[in-house]
Amino acid sequence: MIRVLRGMDWILLAAIISLAGLGLVTLYAAVHQGDTGLWQKQFTFWGIGFGAFLVLCFVPLRLFGLISWPFYAVALLLLILVPLVGDVQMGARRWLNLGIVNLQPSELMKWALMLILASWFATREARSIRDLAVALLLAVVPAALIVNQPDLGTTLVLLFAATSLLIAAGLPWRWFGLAVIAALASLPALWHFMHDYQKQRVLTLLDPQSDPLGAGYHVIQSTIAIGSGGLMGKGFLQGTQGRLHFLPEQHTDFIFAVLAEEGGFIAVVVLLLLYIILITRMLVISNRASSRFGSLICIGVASIFMLYITVNIGMVSGIFPVVGLPLPFISYGGSAMVTMLAALGLVMRVSIESRDRIPWQRPGSSLA
Amino acid sequence: MHKNELESRQRFDMRMLFFYAATPILLGLLGLHVLQLQWLEHEKLALQADHNRLNIVPVLPVRGEIVDRQGKGLAVNRIAYQVQLIPERVKDLDVTLKMLSGMLHWSPAKLAYIHKRIKHSRPDRPVLLDDKLQWLQVSPIAARLHHLPGVDVEAGSFRQYPYAGLTSHLIGYLSLARKTDTDDGYLANEFIGRTGVERSYESLLHGSLGYQQEEVDAHGRRISVSKRTSPAMGQQLRLALDVEVQQAASDALGDRTGSVVVLDVRTGEVITLLSKPGYDTNRFITGLESEQWQEWLNNVEKPLLNRATQAAYPPASTFKVVTGLAGLKAGSHLANGHTTCPGYLELADRNLRCWKRTGHGQVALDYAVIQSCDVYFYKLADQIGMAAISEAALEWGLGERTGIDLPPEARGTVPTQRPYMMEAMKNNSSKRDKWFRGETMIAAIGQGTLTATPLQMARLAASVANGGRVLKPLLQAGDEPVLMHQAQVDPKHLKTIQAAMRGVVEKPYGTAYRALAHAAWPVAGKTGTAQVIKMSQDDEKKGYTPEQISRRHQDHAWFMGYAPYENPQVAIAVFVEHGGHGGSDAAPVAAAVIEVLAAQQQRQEAGQ
Repeated sequence: MIRVLRGMDWILLAAIISLAGLGLVTLYAAVHQGDTGLWQKQFTFWGIGFGAFLVLCFVPLRLFGLISWPFYAVALLLLILVPLVGDVQMGARRWLNLGIVNLQPSELMKWALMLILASWFATREARSIRDLAVALLLAVVPAALIVNQPDLGTTLVLLFAATSLLIAAGLPWRWFGLAVIAALASLPALWHFMHDYQKQRVLTLLDPQSDPLGAGYHVIQSTIAIGSGGLMGKGFLQGTQGRLHFLPEQHTDFIFAVLAEEGGFIAVVVLLLLYIILITRMLVISNRASSRFGSLICIGVASIFMLYITVNIGMVSGIFPVVGLPLPFISYGGSAMVTMLAALGLVMRVSIESRDRIPWQRPGSSLA
Repeated sequence: MHKNELESRQRFDMRMLFFYAATPILLGLLGLHVLQLQWLEHEKLALQADHNRLNIVPVLPVRGEIVDRQGKGLAVNRIAYQVQLIPERVKDLDVTLKMLSGMLHWSPAKLAYIHKRIKHSRPDRPVLLDDKLQWLQVSPIAARLHHLPGVDVEAGSFRQYPYAGLTSHLIGYLSLARKTDTDDGYLANEFIGRTGVERSYESLLHGSLGYQQEEVDAHGRRISVSKRTSPAMGQQLRLALDVEVQQAASDALGDRTGSVVVLDVRTGEVITLLSKPGYDTNRFITGLESEQWQEWLNNVEKPLLNRATQAAYPPASTFKVVTGLAGLKAGSHLANGHTTCPGYLELADRNLRCWKRTGHGQVALDYAVIQSCDVYFYKLADQIGMAAISEAALEWGLGERTGIDLPPEARGTVPTQRPYMMEAMKNNSSKRDKWFRGETMIAAIGQGTLTATPLQMARLAASVANGGRVLKPLLQAGDEPVLMHQAQVDPKHLKTIQAAMRGVVEKPYGTAYRALAHAAWPVAGKTGTAQVIKMSQDDEKKGYTPEQISRRHQDHAWFMGYAPYENPQVAIAVFVEHGGHGGSDAAPVAAAVIEVLAAQQQRQEAGQ
C-alpha cells in the first residue's frame, strides 16, 4: 500500500482528475437541456473507471505479461465470431451479445494487441524480419477483421498503436519509410474496398458544403459552433449551437464543439495542455520504467490516447473524416471511460514498480 | 550481448525523444487549427451560428371571404389542423412520408402527388402535406413529432364553400401554389384561386404575407418568436349574386343540364350565374384526389364546364329578336308589313321548314315573334341580307366577350360572311366557298353556325329592356356600371320588339304563355328551341350508351326575357341542354326565378 502511494505519479493523477472535472462540466453543458440523467450516469462511469484504475495499481505487471497471449487469443476468437453471430447496429456488425452484456470485441482487441506487442518486444527489438513479421501478423489479422465490420476508427487505433510500438521497439526508420510509401501506394485499393458511407465521409471532408444537409451536416455545424465560440467563448451554458440541437451527437463524439463554443479558445488551450501533460507524463514513466515491457505498455497507452485526441478534435473541427472516436474523459460513454481509466491504471502500475529502481538496461541497472 | 542491450537502450531513448517531440507538435497543430476557426474565421462563423438560430418565417394571410348580396357566406374560412414538412430537415423522406401516410390514410396517388410536390419545393420552406384535419387525426402525429424531424402540425384555416355545388363555377376553388406561382413570388404553401371569382379577384382576396423571426433548433422546432409583422388579411368580397335566386333557379332546373343567368338590367350586376351540373369545390383539398378529378373530367355532362360563360350554343328562336331589330332598322317593308307562312319556304334546291308544319297563315312582325314563325324570318333575312343581321348581332353584344371577370369566356360566333368562308376554306371543303342564301335564313332563326353563351343572351335581354345599353356583367355588388357600347336603335323600333316579346308571354297563343302569363311579375321574353344535328354513329364511337344518345339528340331549350315589363329590373336567360322546348322546358325556370325575386321585393316593401 505504501509502495503504491509512494510510486504514484501525482502529476499524472492530477491531470486525470482535472480532465475528468473538465469533462463533467462540459458534459453538463451539453446535456443540461435534455437528458440530465446522462450526466449522473457519466459520473457513475467515472467512479467505476477510477475503481478499476486503483485496482490495477495493485496488480503486478508480470501478470499482464503472462495473460497477454491468452487475452489476445480470446479477443481474436470473439472477433472471428462477430460476423457469424453478431448483432447489427447502425449498419455495422460490431457487437457480440453475451447474454448479460453486449460486448464489442474490437474494443477488447485494442488493449489485447497493445499488451501482446509490448510483451513480444519486451525481450527483442523490431529489427529482424522474423520478429517484425510476427508483430505484423498479430496486428494485421484483427485489423482486417475489424475493418470489415466495418469500423474504420478502431482499425486506425490498432494500426496506430502497433506502429507506435514498432517505432519504440527500434524499427529501422528505412523500413518505416518504406511502409509509409507502401501504405500511400495502396490507398487507391483501399478506396476501392471502402463502404459508400466511408467514401462519402472522406469526400465530405474535402468539401463539406457539397452535402450540407447530409454527411457534411455534422462537420459544418460543429465548425460553426467552434468558430462562433471565439477566443473567449460564449460562456457556460450560453452556447446556441449546442443548446438548439444543431450539434449532432453533442454529448458523445462532438462534445469538443460544445467545449469550444462555450469556453472559447481559452478552454481549448486548457484542454490541450492537460492532454499534453497527460501524455508527456506517460512518456516520462515509460522512460524511467524498470522493465522494457513496462516502457512499451506506456508507449502503447499513450499512443492510443494520442490517436483518440487527434482524430476526435480533427474530426470535429473539420480536418479529418468523421470516424467515431471519443474524446478521452470528455465524451459521454461508459465503456470508453472505464477502459481508458483502466489503461491508465496499468501505466500507473509501471510507475509504481519503477519506484526506487534503475531503469532497464541503464548502466548500473540491476536487471542488466 | 551486453553491448547489444546497451545499444538497444540508447536507441529506445532516441525514440523516446521522437515521442516527446511529437506530442506537443501534433496537439499544437490542432490547437492552431482551432485558433484559426475561433479567431480568423470567428466573425463569419458567428454570423452563420446566428443565422442557424434565427429564421425569418413567413406568416400566411387569412384569405378574404366571399359573401352574396345578402351577406351569406359563399367562401368562408374554417379552422383545422394541417400537417407540413420542411424537406431539408427530414432525415429520411421516404420513411417519414410512409409513416405519415399510414397515420393519415393517404391513397397511393396522393402519396405520389406529395412526393412530387416536395421534389419541386424549396427545401428550406414548409410544404403543406395535408389539411382540413381534425385533432383526432393529427394527434398520433403530434405525439410522435420528435421521431419525425422536419414535420409540423399546425392549426390553420382552410377554405369552405357552403354552397359548393350551387356556386362551383362562379366561385371557383383554390389550390396550392405551383411552380409558376412560386416564380411569381408566392410561397409553396399558399393557396391560390384557380377558377371563378377566387381566381379573378385573387389579388383582392389573397391579402399579403407577414413575417416573424423565430428561434428554431436544428429539427425546425420553434423555440420562441421574436419579431413579427402581421400579415394583411385579404378583403371581403361582396358579390351581386343572390344565393336565394340562384338556389331557386337550380331547383327549377332540377337535375337537368343547363344554365341560368339573371342580370340587373340597370347596372349589369350578376344576380344569378348558374351552370349545371355543378361539382363539389370542397373536395379540392390539398391537391385533389386524382380519381375524383378524372371522374369529373370524363363525365359526359362536363360538370367542370361553366355553361353560362364558357359554352356557346345556337340561340335558336331567341335570336329572332335580333333579326327583327335588324329588319326594322334596315327599313325592310316586310318588317312593317306582313307575309304568308305556308309551313315552309321553297328555295332553289330544298325547302326550309317552319316549326309549324301547317303554317301560320298571314304573319306580321309581332305575330312572328309571338308565334316564333320561321318562314317570316327566312323572308325578312332574305330581304335585309346577312350583313345587316351580323351587324345587329354584334351591336347587341353577341360575338364578343361580355367582359365579365370570369375568364376564360367564350365569345360565341356571329357568322359574318367572310370568316365563315375562311372557316370553310380551312376545312378544305371547296363547295363551301360561297355563302348561300339559305345560310342567311338559317342564321336569322339562330341556327347553324351562330352561337351565343347564356350570359350573352341574358345581356341581350337586358339591353332590349334598358334601351340598348350593352353593359359589362358585374360580379361585385355596388360596382359602377360599365357601358360597353350603345346599340343604335330607334326607340320606336325597340318598343315594337318589346311589345312583341311581351306578347310572347301575354297572348294566349304566345310560346311562353303557359309558363309565364301568370308569373309574379309581368314578363317579356322569347323562347327558343335549338335543333341538335348530330350523327348517331359519332356518338356511338365516343362510347355513349343508347340512352345517352337519344338524350343527346333532343333539342336545346332556351328562354330569354326581362321583367317587370313596364319597369324592367332583371333580365333572365335560361338554357336547358337537350331540354326539349323553350316554352315548356326553359320558360318555367324563368317563372321560378321571378317568383323568388318578386317575393323578395314584397318582403322588402313590407319591411319598409
